[in-house]
Amino acid sequence: MAKQHIVFSLNGGVVEILVEPRTLLIHALRETLGQTGSHIGCETSHCGACTVDFNGKSVKSCTVLAVQADGGEVLTVEGLAHNGALHPVQEGFMQEHGLQCGFCTPGMLIRAYRFLQENPSPTDEDIRMGMSGNLCRCTGYQNIVKAVQYAANKLRATQGA
Amino acid sequence: MATTAEYLEREQKLEGIGCARKRKEDPRFIQGKGHYVDDVHLPGMLFGAVVRSPHAHARIKSINKEKALALPGVRAVLTAEDLKPLKLHWMPTLAGDVQAVLADEKVCFQYQEVAMVIADDRYLAADGVDLVEVEYEPLPALVDPHHAMDADAPVIREDLVGKDEAGQGKRVHDNHIFRWEVGDKAATDRIFATADVTVKQAVLNPRVHPCPLETCGCVASFDKVRGELTVYITSQAPHVVRTVVSLLSGLPESKIRIISPDIGGGFGNKVGIYPGYVGAIVASIVFGRPVKWIESRIENLSTTAFARDYHMVGELAADKNGRIKALRVNVLADHGAFNAHAQPTKWPAGFFSICTGSYDIPVAYARVDGVYTNKAPGGVAYRCSFRVTEAVHLIERMIDILAQKLGIDKAEIRFRNFIKPEQFPYHSALGWDYDSGDYPTALKKVLEAVNYPALREEQAEKRTRGELMGIGICTFTEIVGAGPSKNCDILGVGMFDSCEIRVHPTGSAIARIGTITQGQGHQTTYAQIIATELGLPSEVIQVEEGDTNTAPYGLGTYGSRSTPVGGAATANAARKLRDKARKIAAHLLEVSADDLDWEIDRFKVKGVPGQEKTMKEIAWAAYNNVPPGMEMGLEAVEYYDPPNFTYPFGAYLCVLDIDRYTGETKVRRFYALDDCGTRINPMIIEGQIHGGLTEAYAVAMGQLIAFDAGGNLLSNSLMDYFLPTAVETPKWETDFTVTPSPHHPLGAKGVAESPHVGGIPCFTNAVNDAFAHLGVTQIDMPHTAFNVWKTIHELGLDNRA
Amino acid sequence: MQVKLEKTFPIAAPADAGWRVLQDIKGVAECMPGAQITQQIDATHYKGQVKMRLGPATASFNGELKIKSIDEGERKIELFGKGSDTSGASAATMNLTAQVRDGGDGRCEVIGVSDITVSGKLASFGGRMLTQVSEQILKQFGDNFTARVLASARGADTPQTMAASVPPPKELNGVALAWNVVLGFFKSLFGDTKSKSG
Repeated sequence: MAKQHIVFSLNGGVVEILVEPRTLLIHALRETLGQTGSHIGCETSHCGACTVDFNGKSVKSCTVLAVQADGGEVLTVEGLAHNGALHPVQEGFMQEHGLQCGFCTPGMLIRAYRFLQENPSPTDEDIRMGMSGNLCRCTGYQNIVKAVQYAANKLRATQGA
Repeated sequence: MATTAEYLEREQKLEGIGCARKRKEDPRFIQGKGHYVDDVHLPGMLFGAVVRSPHAHARIKSINKEKALALPGVRAVLTAEDLKPLKLHWMPTLAGDVQAVLADEKVCFQYQEVAMVIADDRYLAADGVDLVEVEYEPLPALVDPHHAMDADAPVIREDLVGKDEAGQGKRVHDNHIFRWEVGDKAATDRIFATADVTVKQAVLNPRVHPCPLETCGCVASFDKVRGELTVYITSQAPHVVRTVVSLLSGLPESKIRIISPDIGGGFGNKVGIYPGYVGAIVASIVFGRPVKWIESRIENLSTTAFARDYHMVGELAADKNGRIKALRVNVLADHGAFNAHAQPTKWPAGFFSICTGSYDIPVAYARVDGVYTNKAPGGVAYRCSFRVTEAVHLIERMIDILAQKLGIDKAEIRFRNFIKPEQFPYHSALGWDYDSGDYPTALKKVLEAVNYPALREEQAEKRTRGELMGIGICTFTEIVGAGPSKNCDILGVGMFDSCEIRVHPTGSAIARIGTITQGQGHQTTYAQIIATELGLPSEVIQVEEGDTNTAPYGLGTYGSRSTPVGGAATANAARKLRDKARKIAAHLLEVSADDLDWEIDRFKVKGVPGQEKTMKEIAWAAYNNVPPGMEMGLEAVEYYDPPNFTYPFGAYLCVLDIDRYTGETKVRRFYALDDCGTRINPMIIEGQIHGGLTEAYAVAMGQLIAFDAGGNLLSNSLMDYFLPTAVETPKWETDFTVTPSPHHPLGAKGVAESPHVGGIPCFTNAVNDAFAHLGVTQIDMPHTAFNVWKTIHELGLDNRA
Repeated sequence: MQVKLEKTFPIAAPADAGWRVLQDIKGVAECMPGAQITQQIDATHYKGQVKMRLGPATASFNGELKIKSIDEGERKIELFGKGSDTSGASAATMNLTAQVRDGGDGRCEVIGVSDITVSGKLASFGGRMLTQVSEQILKQFGDNFTARVLASARGADTPQTMAASVPPPKELNGVALAWNVVLGFFKSLFGDTKSKSG
C-alpha cells in the first residue's frame, strides 16, 4: 500500500513519518515513533488506554487514522513532564495511589490533563463523569478521583499565584 | 539508651512494615515508561495472528493457505498439520487434560484457534488471516451444561471417546470430565432427614471473564546460533511457563528465559498457557526470528480464560433457632471444550470445599461434576483463590435464605453460627484447618459503623410505601496462599515460593522473588518487609521479579499467594541474613552473639550503651572482615513451603436502592472491613480493596459471557461486556481488624482477592434482600437494570396505577 | 443466532406471472439486495455470492443454493442456502419457502417464510440487529420481486428488458439500510413486527 507522508507536532517537537493510509494513530505512535506510553486495550474506543491529546481535545488514538494527525498537534504521556518536573496530574496519581498496574495510567493522565483545562474546579462527581471514557480495572477509581482533585488544587494554586 | 523520638525517627526512615509508603513503581508508569509485552520491539520481529473458528462445533473439511501465502509479507500459515510432526498440535493443560493448540480436524468452540499467520507486521498478519479459507461442516453445538450428559448429547471430545478418565478420575459420559466428592455424605443425609428445617436453592455463578486492561501476548525470540529461547510473556507464573515450554519443546530449561515484564493486570487471566504463545514460540524457532503475538480484546474475551460457570444447588439443615446442622452442595461445573481449569493439580474443583464459610457447621458434603460444552476452555480464579468465590457465594446466599425462612435477622443468624474466636485453629467439616479469626468482632464493628438497626427500620418503612431497598451482608472467609507442597503442586512442582537477597557492601540490596507483580506493588512492599527485617531503608532495596534467568524458582502470583508465600520467603531470607549479620557484629564488637540485642537497624551489646554496629556497617564488614571460617558476602536464599494456607476474612455490608420502574440499582453505601492479619502497606491494601470491590461490583451487576443457542458468543467486546466506569462505580468505605496468622513469619494473610470474594455475595445479597419481603429467595447475577426490572415486572411492582 | 421471518407481498399481477418469476432462480436471487448467482451446477444447485456493506465494513458471502422442492400445483418453492464469508469468520444458512397465492381479480400475493441462522462474527456483533437487518433485506427483496412480476406481467419477460426495468442493487446500500434498520428497531419496540427471533 502506498505510504503517505505526514508531519505533525508530537510532545512539542516536529515528527515526519511515512504511514499507510490505514495505519491507526496509536500504531504510528507506538510502532513507528517508539512512543509506547499510550496503550491499546480494546480497539473499539471503549477503554481509553490509548487516549492522547489531539489539537486540544482528548481523543482515542485507536480509532483515529495516523493521516488525520497530519498538520496537527499531539500530546502523549511522554510529553507531560516539563523541564524534568512532573505535571501536577502525574504528581497527583503518585501521591494519591491512583494507579496499580499502570496500563490505563497514560490515558488517564492525558485525559485528566485536558479535563482540568475544561473544568479547573471540578466536584468529585464532575471528575467521575469527565473521566468516564477511561476504564481502570485495578483502582476502583476512588483514588483516581482524589488524584485529579490533587492536581486541580495544585494547578489552581500555581495559576492563582 | 536511644530516646523515643530518635528510636521513632530511625524506624520511620526505614519505611518498613506498616508504612503507607508511596509506590516505587509509579515514577515509571506516570511518565509512560512502563514496559509491557507489546512495548517489546526486537529487530527483525515478525507478527502472528490467529485464524479462528466461526462455529461452536464443526468439522474442518479443508484449510486453503494459498491466497494468504501469496500475499507479500506473509511468511507462513501454521496449522495443526504443520505442528503434528513436532507433536505440538495438542498441549497439556494444568488440569490433566489436553487442549488443541491449533484445531485438529474439528473445532469445539467458537473462536477456537484454527491456524496462525506469520507476517512482517501486524497489519499484514491480519490481512493474511482474512485470506485463509477454511471449509467447515457444522455440527450440533452443546451449550447448556445441564444437557451435557444427556444420552443424545453431541460428543465434544472425540479424542477421549472410550476413555473412562480425562486426568481427574473416573468419568461416566463422553462429555463428563470428573466427579469430585468431599465430606461425609451418609452423615449429612441423616441430618437432613431429621432436621427441624431445611432449605434448598439453585444458585448460579455465571460465566464471566477477568478482562484485564492489557490482553495476553508474547514475544518469542529464538537465537539459532546459541540455541536459546527468550520469551517475553504476559504471565502470572513465568517459572512454570519455563518448565512447560521446556517439556513441550525439548529445550533444556537452562536454554529458556521467560520474562514477565510489566503486566497490565492479571486477575487470573494470565495464569494459563495459550495456543497463541505456543504458535509464536514455534514460529520463532522455525524462522530464527522474534515473533510477536498480541491478542485483540475480542480474542481475549472469547478464548483465554473464562471464570466461574458453576451451577450450584445448596442445601442447609438447621434447628429452629437457625443453628446450622449440615450443608449439602451439588455443583455442575461447565469447563468448556477442554479442561484447562487453573488449579493445583490435585484439586479439580479448586478449594471449593471452603464452602462451609465462616460458620461452625458440624457435617457437610459437597460434590462437583465437571462437564464439557462447546465453549472456550478455562475456569480460572478471577481475582480469587481457586473456586473460592463460588464457595463463598454459595454459603452466603444459603445462610440468607435460611434466615429468610426462619424469620431471623440476617446479621443475627451469622452471629449464631460463627466459628468462635476460641475455636481457632479450627478444623472444618470438609477438612480445612483455619489458622485464625475473630468473626463476631468484625461484624459487630461493621454493624455499629453503619447503624444497622436504623437501616433495617428505614427499609421496613420504605417497604410500606412499595419502595425497594436492599441491605446485603457478607461475612466471608477466604483460603489463600497455596500452598503446602504436601497437597498443592502444579504439574508436579510444589507450590512453594522463593526469595534471594543480596546486600551490597555499602548497605543497599537487591531482592529477587519468585512471584510477579501485576499492579499489587511488590517492588514497594517486599522492600518494606526487608527494611523491617534487616534495618536497611526500603529506598535502597531493589526488588526484581519475573525474569527466570535471575529470580529464583517460584510459582508466581495468583490466589493471593504473594504475601502469604513470597512474603514469608522474603522475611525468612532476610532473617537468615540477620543471623549472619549478628555473628559478624559479635565478631566486630568482640562479644558473644548472645550478648547482642537487635534494635531497628543495628545490633547493640546488652547493657553497654554506645557499643553497637549498624546493618550498614555490618554489610561493609561482610566483604572484608568476617569471623574466621565464615564465608564472605551477605546473601541468602529461601524456598518457603508454607505449613498451611492463610484464611483472611472480612465483614461487608451494602445498602442499595432500586428504582421500581427502571430496575436501576444505586449502591448507596458499601462498608468493607477486612482482616488480612499483619498489614504491610495500608495505602496499598486500601487500593487493592477498592479494586477488588469494583471487580466484585462488575461481576454482580453486569458481567456475563453470554451465548446464543448455537454457541455463538454474544459478549466479546467492551460494547457488550461490562466494565464499570467511574460513574457507576460506588464509593467505598474501608475498615480493618488485625488477627495475625499464627504460622506466617510476619502474621500476614494476603488481601487483594478478599474484596472480590466477599464483595460479590454482598451485592447479590443486597439485591435479593430488596425483594425478600415478597417471598423471593433467589435472583441470579448479573443484576443488570433489565434483569432486575424483569423481576419487578413479574412481581407487578412497576404498576403505576 | 436464529431468526424466523414471515412476510406477505401483495402484487397487482396474476398468480401465473408471479409463479413464472419465482421459478427463475437467478432472477429471484438478484432480487435479494447484494446477491448474485455466479454459477449453475445442475438443475437444482447453484453457487452464488452476497455482498454487504455496512459503514466501512464489507462482508462477502460465498455459498450454495439448493432447490429443495418445486410444487407446481401449490405454486410453492423451497430453497436452502448456506454460505460463509471468504475468511470463514462468519457463516449463515437459510431455509426459504415461497408460495404464490391467487388473490383473484388478476392479483396475487407472495408469501415468504424464512428461517435464517448466522454464526461467527456476524452473530456475535450483528446478532442484536439481525431481525431488523433481515426484515429490511426481505422488504427490499419484496419490492424488487414485485417490480419484476409487474414487468413480467406486462410481457417484458426477457432478462435484458427485466434488468432494464428493475436495476437490482448489487450491494446492500449501507446508509439506507442502516437508517431502515434503526427505524425497524424502534418499530419493534412497539411490537410492530411479525418476526420472532430466537
